[in-house]
Amino acid sequence: MNQRPYPLAAAWQLNPVWLITLGWVLCLGLAVWGMPHLEGFFRWLEPGQRQVIYQRDAFAFLLLNHMQLVAVSAAMAIVIGVGTGIIVTRGWGRDFLPLVSQVASIGQTFPPVAVLALSVPLLGFGAKPVILSLVLYGLLPIMRNTLVGLNDIDPAVRESARGMGMSPLQVLVRVELPLALPVMLAGIRTSVTINIATAAIGSTIGARTLGDPVIAGLINGNLAYTVQGAVLIGLLAVTVDQLFAAITPKRHG
Amino acid sequence: MSVKAQTNRVLLALPFAALAALWGLDFVSVQPNRIMPGTGQSLVAALGWPGALLLSGGVLAILLNAWRITSPRFWLTLALATLLLALLPLALHWAAQRHVPADQPIARIGLGAGFWALVFLLCLMIIEVLQRLRAGTHWRLLVMAVVLGSLFWFISTGRLDELALLREYQSRSRQFGTALRGHLMLVGGAVGVSLVMGFGLAVQILRRPSWQKPVLGVLSFFQTIPSLALFGLLIAPLSALSAQFPWLQQFGIRGIGWAPAVLALIGYSLLPMVRNTWVALDGVPAGVMEAARGMGMSPLQAFVRVRLPLAVPVVLEGVRITTIQAIGLTAVAALIGAGGFGTFIFQGLGQAANELILLGAIPTILLALLADMIFTALAALTAGYRKEVATS
Repeated sequence: MNQRPYPLAAAWQLNPVWLITLGWVLCLGLAVWGMPHLEGFFRWLEPGQRQVIYQRDAFAFLLLNHMQLVAVSAAMAIVIGVGTGIIVTRGWGRDFLPLVSQVASIGQTFPPVAVLALSVPLLGFGAKPVILSLVLYGLLPIMRNTLVGLNDIDPAVRESARGMGMSPLQVLVRVELPLALPVMLAGIRTSVTINIATAAIGSTIGARTLGDPVIAGLINGNLAYTVQGAVLIGLLAVTVDQLFAAITPKRHG
Repeated sequence: MSVKAQTNRVLLALPFAALAALWGLDFVSVQPNRIMPGTGQSLVAALGWPGALLLSGGVLAILLNAWRITSPRFWLTLALATLLLALLPLALHWAAQRHVPADQPIARIGLGAGFWALVFLLCLMIIEVLQRLRAGTHWRLLVMAVVLGSLFWFISTGRLDELALLREYQSRSRQFGTALRGHLMLVGGAVGVSLVMGFGLAVQILRRPSWQKPVLGVLSFFQTIPSLALFGLLIAPLSALSAQFPWLQQFGIRGIGWAPAVLALIGYSLLPMVRNTWVALDGVPAGVMEAARGMGMSPLQAFVRVRLPLAVPVVLEGVRITTIQAIGLTAVAALIGAGGFGTFIFQGLGQAANELILLGAIPTILLALLADMIFTALAALTAGYRKEVATS
């Protein structure tokens, strides 16, 4: 893909994809800050309600909490997913490879909301069951892509690295993981996208996320709340996705 | 199909974990009524010594069988694991008879962590064995048929009536039927419409390659937006629309309900549908199409009789992905009043009634697994047919 140098981007030594990302981040920040100032619009949207701006928590608090839930569970899912992927592709762990890759693909058949619901009988209400189901569900695409990334490496590359005198650990860290990184990043991106959506639904089991205004609006029939939450959730998802697009290494150039 | 005689570590580890779970965790819990929390019962307390030893013996047999396992003994493990899964309803029946007296019509048996762990680990064992044997889809279907058949037999003969899940079902069997129908209709409608629209878009992209980037770009943007947000955002325009044109309300088109749900579902379904259909149609070799034209077929004939049949397996893969996704998203749509199994999930969450949550979540998962199997089998079938056509 040939990319024309944008004058502005060239001046800042920035890839245009970073400028777009910056734009979305600003949009999200502006929306979080500006939402309470749009009372006029929301009053027009929902004229029957006494209160049209969601007040129980600040939007910034909900946004940070939402992001924190997703980040914590993503970190755990990455450690477990990549770790499992590495273990089952070497030594005695290889015995578990067929089972793990099969489970990773069957598991993705499970609807995320069902996994979320099933964690309640196990852990009750609050942030804990949400994190558990985000980790469990987010694990699968990461594990699967780690396996694909590691398996797709040409065995000759591995052998020549060994031939150069690298230890197995060095081969893993310096050759295999860097080569598998783009595929692994794609898995992490899928996982995070799904988890931002699932964390929003986590409001129904007591986690405090941007899903709160949506649910509160649905329960009280207050369309304004629902729109406020929905817009912020959408912006968060698009912004994070754009961020991943920016850090994913390009195949050409 | 011979497998070298070496010890299978997976089939050592899984039964070992299963035994630990059976003896270390509660097998069932006994609840005096719907509200009171249950008291956990260990394996022996639940089933008595004979039952406990029988169940553990089966698991132990699988463990011992893993030692220097050979191909015929993989089949033995498959049979044992399937048998154990199929007999679990019997174990629950025993537990119910021991702990729920007939004169307590609202007392109930809840499923414990030990039970769930055993089910999960037995499923893993079956998956592992089927993989090692390279057994085809029909074996997977057979195992599922045996296990579900046994479960439904025990349910339909009333032997599991004391189970909390079934107590919950009995008090809302009619709503369950409505939820099932609602769920299937929403999924069917969205998948059907998106199949037609997706097909049209895919053909357009095929004819005008410059459409590919914008169309797929817009659709994947849709896919990025979380379901709760899209459902929420669609309420406002639809309720404005129905306020403007009240006759729309006669057809159920309102801000909440099935209308925004179906719209959002179609929006999510289009990406996998278009992508797979386009890849499938585009993947037919140019030589094949030229040969068809050379045989005197018109462009339309060549499309309908050659390109389309060759594309079917990959299109079916798209339908599979779309259907599974739609089944999960429909559960979320219950939040905007669209019905379906999500209704039970969110009611259960609202009342902190675990069994009601399960009554919604388990059928949703089963639907997704069933759709996965049906479309995988269909794709394999049509791919086989395709090979026959190609070689004849």
